[in-house]
Amino acid sequence: MMPLQAPISPDWLALTPAIVLGVFAMVLFLLDSIDPDESNDGLLAGVATVGTASAMVVAGVFLLSGVGAGEGVSVFNGQLVVDGMALFFTFIFTSVAALICLASIEYLAGTDDIAGYYSLVVLATTGMTVMAAANSLATVFVSLELLSLPSYGLVAYLKNDRGSVEAGMKYFLIGALSSAVFAYGISLVYGVTGSLLLPDIASALAGGETLANLGGLLGVGVLMLVGGFAFKTASVPFHFWAPEAYEGAPAPVSAFLSSASKAAGFVIAFRVFTVAFPIETVAGTIDWVLAFQILAVVTMTLGNFAAATQENVKRMLAYSSVGHAGYVLIGLAALTGQGSGEIVLGAGMIHLLVYGFMNTGAFLFVAMAEYWEVGRTFEDYNGLATKAPVACVAMTVFMFSLAGLPIGGGFLSKYYLFAGAVGAGVWWLAGVAAINSALSLFYYSRVVKAMWLEEPNGNLGGIDTRGYPTGLYSAVMIAAVATVLLLPALGVFSDVAFEAANAVLRLGP
Amino acid sequence: MAAEGGIFTFAPAIAVLPFVSFLIALSAGRYMPKKGAFAGIAATGGSLLLSLLMVAQVASGHAHHMELYTWVGGEGVPFELTFGILLDQLSTLMLVIVSTIAFLVHVFSLGYMNDEGEPGLPRYYAELGLFTASMLAFVFSDNILMAFMFFELVGLCSYLLIGFWFRRSGPPSAAKKAFLVTRFGDYFFLIGVVGIFATFGTGMFGGPGVEESFPVLAEEAMSAMAAGEAMPEAVTTFFGLSPGAWFGVLGLLVLGGVMGKSAQFPFHTWLPDAMEGPTPVSALIHAATMVAAGVYLVARMYGFYALLPTLLAIIAFVGGFTALFAATMGVVKDEIKQVLAYSTISQYGYIMLGLGGGGYVAGVFHLTTHAFFKALLFLGAGSVIIAMHHNEDMWEMGGLKDRMPVTYYAFLSGSLALAGIVPFSGFWSKDEVLYETLVHGLGGSPILLGAYLMGIVAVFFTGFYTFRMVLLTFHGDPRSDLAEDPEPVRWNVKIPLAILGTLAAVVGVINLVPVHAVVGAVPEFLHDWLFHGPETLNGAHYEELTEQFAGYSAGAIPGLGGLGTLFASAGVSLAVALAGSALALGLYRGPDPAEHTEKLGALKTVLYNNYYQDEYQVWLAQDLTEGTVAGTAKRFDDGVVDGLVNRVSDVSLVSGYFLRRVQTGIVSNYAALITLGLVVLLVAFGIMGGWFGGVFA
Amino acid sequence: MAVPVQYYLVLSAAIFCIGLFGILTRRNALMFLMSVELMLNAANINFVAFSFQHGNLTGQVFSLFTMALAAAEVAVGIGIVLVLYRNFADVDVTKATTLRW
Repeated sequence: MMPLQAPISPDWLALTPAIVLGVFAMVLFLLDSIDPDESNDGLLAGVATVGTASAMVVAGVFLLSGVGAGEGVSVFNGQLVVDGMALFFTFIFTSVAALICLASIEYLAGTDDIAGYYSLVVLATTGMTVMAAANSLATVFVSLELLSLPSYGLVAYLKNDRGSVEAGMKYFLIGALSSAVFAYGISLVYGVTGSLLLPDIASALAGGETLANLGGLLGVGVLMLVGGFAFKTASVPFHFWAPEAYEGAPAPVSAFLSSASKAAGFVIAFRVFTVAFPIETVAGTIDWVLAFQILAVVTMTLGNFAAATQENVKRMLAYSSVGHAGYVLIGLAALTGQGSGEIVLGAGMIHLLVYGFMNTGAFLFVAMAEYWEVGRTFEDYNGLATKAPVACVAMTVFMFSLAGLPIGGGFLSKYYLFAGAVGAGVWWLAGVAAINSALSLFYYSRVVKAMWLEEPNGNLGGIDTRGYPTGLYSAVMIAAVATVLLLPALGVFSDVAFEAANAVLRLGP
Repeated sequence: MAAEGGIFTFAPAIAVLPFVSFLIALSAGRYMPKKGAFAGIAATGGSLLLSLLMVAQVASGHAHHMELYTWVGGEGVPFELTFGILLDQLSTLMLVIVSTIAFLVHVFSLGYMNDEGEPGLPRYYAELGLFTASMLAFVFSDNILMAFMFFELVGLCSYLLIGFWFRRSGPPSAAKKAFLVTRFGDYFFLIGVVGIFATFGTGMFGGPGVEESFPVLAEEAMSAMAAGEAMPEAVTTFFGLSPGAWFGVLGLLVLGGVMGKSAQFPFHTWLPDAMEGPTPVSALIHAATMVAAGVYLVARMYGFYALLPTLLAIIAFVGGFTALFAATMGVVKDEIKQVLAYSTISQYGYIMLGLGGGGYVAGVFHLTTHAFFKALLFLGAGSVIIAMHHNEDMWEMGGLKDRMPVTYYAFLSGSLALAGIVPFSGFWSKDEVLYETLVHGLGGSPILLGAYLMGIVAVFFTGFYTFRMVLLTFHGDPRSDLAEDPEPVRWNVKIPLAILGTLAAVVGVINLVPVHAVVGAVPEFLHDWLFHGPETLNGAHYEELTEQFAGYSAGAIPGLGGLGTLFASAGVSLAVALAGSALALGLYRGPDPAEHTEKLGALKTVLYNNYYQDEYQVWLAQDLTEGTVAGTAKRFDDGVVDGLVNRVSDVSLVSGYFLRRVQTGIVSNYAALITLGLVVLLVAFGIMGGWFGGVFA
Repeated sequence: MAVPVQYYLVLSAAIFCIGLFGILTRRNALMFLMSVELMLNAANINFVAFSFQHGNLTGQVFSLFTMALAAAEVAVGIGIVLVLYRNFADVDVTKATTLRW
């Protein structure tokens, strides 16, 4: 280890992205209270976009200038730690959030309480940013709720739309159940170890004495924690809310939840399990690697198989999102101690980054289709390319990249995951993932086929009458360009990710 | 090395030029005179010139390797992913073949597509450009991951081109079948690629300046094991398998991709369907790109396969069997392109047989000659199809010999080559394939003799269906009004035919093995060429490897000696080819040939239906699903490809259908299922971790 | 003599299970919410008991967090129940099933 030389001083400045987001959320509240009937949605969207984008820039600069290098900056007596992984994920969250804010302008036109929408988005992003840095089960729980509560509101945002309200209700109820389970799990872990700080938990378990006496209690607690993460990441069996919430919610919110919120679930899972419960210590009592292997296989299989039979594009994307959670779970499921763990964990991080762009883009394209009122099923997309060819090229990029064809970054990130799994000696996991990928190509290409090869059904009039939604359209394009660029440029991020993963893995004793 | 940089720095342009033509045709094609054709012609012409320059450069100096771009790398990453170019004897030869054929196909397309007034031409030329670009890039790839990526891109482009006439009913389904069947194989390939990286930490093929390449590492590991020493550190095997067994698994996985692309049994079913694409595309797919990609990959990593006798035997057997199997199906087909399709499958079987039988040079030689004569035959068939206004039934043709002499003589040259009649090119290469297999079979690997036997029987059928096709198409009296008065074809059809006709006749000169044996002064160009490759990538090295690891050694027919065996083999294959041809001549000669296929009785039906390949695959899959899904299966039948692919997706769709039914929409059920899931996990892990004994201890 | 910590654990587990039972059987959204509160309070009992056992205040502080978050959760929950009632004219959680499969 290098001598501890604070890369940033005072150390709380390392939390700048979270602070920026919090401030902007307050600004939005302020604007709302000054003029509650604010109809200038451009201003609100602009403020929200600028806020999230500047947080993204700060995170990016921190990441590249080495603020989080090595063990990172520890803040508030170790309750939060800003390291490479925290900044990497902050970058994902804020970039997705910026895209969402940009894309929501036209989508929200005509609804009331637009300021509320943006402040909820920014607050949820703040929650995610804190989650990325949370280094104690207390901060994990609080920040998780800071993400969850605004999310419930966002899903149910369209108050007069039955789908949106129903989705919000289901998301909320399942979420409440999961957070109760999660809290109970935390209480058990605390009971066994006497601490909530992740490194302290690890050192309490290190001797083996505690494990021998109270192993069962800890095991139950850890599995309950797994349940909490599985909820946030939409992994089986805690995924039931996801198809409904993603289908019913406003499409930009679906994009936000399925990309950023999922990534947030993963970042705490990555940190909690690798730091607090090093597998070599707890393997005898609670083999969480095995648990994640089971979850990964079930999740990716169920997600992909269910996606293959959908008629509704948005719901197909919802299930595919469940499937992708299964792929990323490999990041934890392949930490067998064999091979190099940093590749596995880093691969999960990279996949989430790429997924952030390609999946957000795909949902935003659906938002655009909703804006044009073309309908929701595959058939409704028939011949879309005759009217909106450029947007359809973007959607094609998203679909093929999601399927893992070498047209976007999705190819490489999947490749890393498979390679990592193979390197860790879990061949069968990579095999299952490969079969699932093959299946996924089937339903992704259905969208492409409908757009390019089928004759229009005469439902595309909305494109002419309503025109192109500027904000939404540019968000889709930015996402498409980012997805494609991530193929050649992934090298930049993969180095950072592997380094960050390495740092996290070494933190355990 | 710096001095050598010179001309090699232009190497990337070989693939970039067609890619640029793709961009031009895509963006500006519709405003250009021939809808983007000239851009494609210029680009492939440029690639051809550059490839020839590369050959000259490689011939004068050494092979060349350069790294273009490091994709993923750096500290902490156990393996680097790079893009690079490997120009050695094998790849430059292949570059010349691919760019020549692509160039001629572009010219021919002027006559086949433009003159026929097809719509969507910019798209056609764009896809053709991308297809050529990806194949060229595949050929000069320096590592297996890059090769895989372009391999996939080649598959994607052929999907687009086969389905070019997507408004008709046949092409989209054929395209989908081609894509899915080859992709099925590619998934094994992908796992193989990952496995190779995991095992060796590198995917390099080798070449000058490459420190670590996986064939060499594999060789070191095998030698170390044989000598009872520890394995090299860079190599890790999995599942506790010995290096030999583990490398075999890897080789088989990669072979999955090869067999899919090269249409080897049982993955051959997509290829005859792929005839739905435009004929120039068929020529390109069959002669130099898609199908050739598979066998080229085996040749490219021959240093790896040469270590594994089992795999070589599998390759040889699959090849021999495919050669025979496809040839028998070719004898009853009525459509000219169908006959050619089965001949392609069969000929690639020979190439595989050659490679598997230890004849690296022979395999590459046949790949070369086949590229020329098969491109010729397809373009000739295209010319006939233009003349016949897109009627492909040979029974409607006849007598075209006098009405289109250029096409006839070119086609005849190609047919003689295909049938393997001396002195046309196909004779020399096919004979060498069979000879190599025979001598290695005699020299201590008797298992190869079985493959050889299948190969020699297939020669008979090849001769038969080739001349049946020629006679039905060109000889006799015209059997329809169309054949009476065919549409004339223009220079842009005739010139490619004339060039390829000449090449098909004479290209065998590059490796006149039997002649060389007698008159030492006649050189074996190809043999010498491939034997002077870079250190670990040349024929001599491969020969050592097959001898050391696979126990291949040259034997001879008892009592005849080396030279005698050589001529006996050549004599036998020529005699068999002549016999097949003579039988066709006897049956289909005369002004009005009869359909003799009836005499085959029940066998004809079997052959007609391609041994019920599609049917049995469907049946297999159906039987699996029928029990559980009888009623629901029908619902998902729409819009899915036929055959195996169809049923596989049905199975997944049906299971998906049940899975989604779990999602009842009632939130209480979700809560119950979540609780159940959690309890199951708790109980399972509790039992495993032994918690129940010690919770309250 | 203090009550052994195991008893607290049994109590909290019982409350947790009662809450869970409520969630599985109740159809009224408000009852569903109350059941969740029970489960959260089961966690709180644990925290306070373990805090006493370990002799540090971490657990007690955490239980304060939990309470605050539970209140916020209820606030959001009531809001959602309200719009649910407006759209479906019922607070029965099993009635809203337009999205499924």
